[in-house]
Amino acid sequence: MEKPLPIVSHLTEPFWESARKHRLSLQRCEECGTYQWYPKAWCVECGSRKLKWKKVTGKGKVYSYTVIRHAKASPAFTEELPFAIAVVELDEGPRMYARLLDCPIGEIKTGMRVKVAFEDVSKAISLPQFTVAR
Amino acid sequence: MKPRAVIAGYGETPFSRGKKERGEEQLTLEEYIAWCAELALKDAGLTKSDFDGQGLVVNGAQYPHSELWSCEVAQNLGITAKRLVRVDNGGESAISSLGRACDLINSGAVDRVLCISADAPMSVTSHPYPYFGEPYVYGRDFEDPYGLQGPKSVFAFIMRKHMELYGTKLEQTGKIAVVSRAHALLNPNAYFKEEMSLKDYLDSPVLSDPIRLLDNVMLVNGGQAFIVTSPESAKKITDNPVNVLGVGECYNYYQGSRTRPDVTTTGITAASKEAFKQANLSPKDVDCFQPYDDFPIAVIIQLEDSGFCKKGAGGKFVEKTDISITGDLPLSTGGGQLSAGQPGLSGGHVPFIEAVRQARGDGGRRQVKGAMVAMAAGIGGLSYIRNLENTGVAILGSKDFSG
Repeated sequence: MEKPLPIVSHLTEPFWESARKHRLSLQRCEECGTYQWYPKAWCVECGSRKLKWKKVTGKGKVYSYTVIRHAKASPAFTEELPFAIAVVELDEGPRMYARLLDCPIGEIKTGMRVKVAFEDVSKAISLPQFTVAR
Repeated sequence: MKPRAVIAGYGETPFSRGKKERGEEQLTLEEYIAWCAELALKDAGLTKSDFDGQGLVVNGAQYPHSELWSCEVAQNLGITAKRLVRVDNGGESAISSLGRACDLINSGAVDRVLCISADAPMSVTSHPYPYFGEPYVYGRDFEDPYGLQGPKSVFAFIMRKHMELYGTKLEQTGKIAVVSRAHALLNPNAYFKEEMSLKDYLDSPVLSDPIRLLDNVMLVNGGQAFIVTSPESAKKITDNPVNVLGVGECYNYYQGSRTRPDVTTTGITAASKEAFKQANLSPKDVDCFQPYDDFPIAVIIQLEDSGFCKKGAGGKFVEKTDISITGDLPLSTGGGQLSAGQPGLSGGHVPFIEAVRQARGDGGRRQVKGAMVAMAAGIGGLSYIRNLENTGVAILGSKDFSG
């Protein structure tokens, strides 16, 4: 079973273009300086449409996480069970979902420092994931 | 402004999983809509023609069979409405239906409103309405590729945060599941009737850690309808109206910044404040509380955000409080969605209709003695790393206490 893949749209193209080069980019508001994630058509803090894609450090920490032990709702992931999904809080502000690629499930802790790492899942899509910052 | 409106009738179908091998009929969504409308009209002694030239509020279903859904429901029922509203608030839709009905009546546009909600996610005739092309869907692009497993995963992140920040324990969430099941045994409409112990809860398989199997709701088919009128015309319909004492709503609330909101707090904080102010009441006046219980942790958060206890103290509050029908704060007196079942996007009507029932004294074996003030809350709409987006609170009374 094929795992679900993102579909590139006009709004998200700059993000995926950057990801293909293994760089994490976020929308930054030119009016108020807020970084936001996921991609939106205006700044949710101030309502400006002046958004610019900007490369960020890719560093952050785990805000929360879950360990998936049952994949009936999205069965393409059954073979990978069990696996953890983290909420990573980036140093620039926003939070995003991602996997922790190199961390055994029992060692994941809220607050641990992580850094971005990309997983090339197709020619067009490199998914941002994270590894433990050592 | 306090609404001037009453609930003059209601109806709820029994719930079903549509399992033919168990002899359960698999009705279509349209049949549930007609069935619950019939029950509410019968209850109020009205007919559908009493709603020609009046208000009709229709809740969106999980898989509506048409993009323009509310007018199709009106066509299928043959009702010519003066005002037609589709609410689209997931688990909060019962409260928003009541809110829009009160607005329509209090604006003078109509005298009465029929609010209808049903869903049949267990029927093969309910299927996803196809997308045209490939729209931008953030969930598909930024959640699905990571293997999230729907609402249970979203609530897993929230529950872990709540446990780590405040020390909330599985025994506390488990108590909610266990007491809800005991209440469901007294509810003829409830689907889940096997007894459940705390050990059953703790031993149930972990699906999306820390969410267990018995933290989850199970989908059922079902429908609920209710009739809202002005207090004056209710006198001609019923001698036992349920008074709408307060309705508070808040959509897309952020606790803190929009970038890093606190995921353990919901817009129930704002909605409950509005509802209690209208009702001129406080949490200590509430005789029973029917929260939106898609997961026990959501109940704990709603207790906190409604002011029954401080933020973070919800787990301890549940531990120390007798939440049974005869207790200090009877909670989910019909078993809630956790044990009655979740009729798709009509799930928020389960706690709401139970609040109406209790306020009218129709609880039968599960009637809270002297239930005068019944409160219901609704939350709906999964968000991206936040809490739920649609939030609402209704405070109902067997008398108008605020006068």
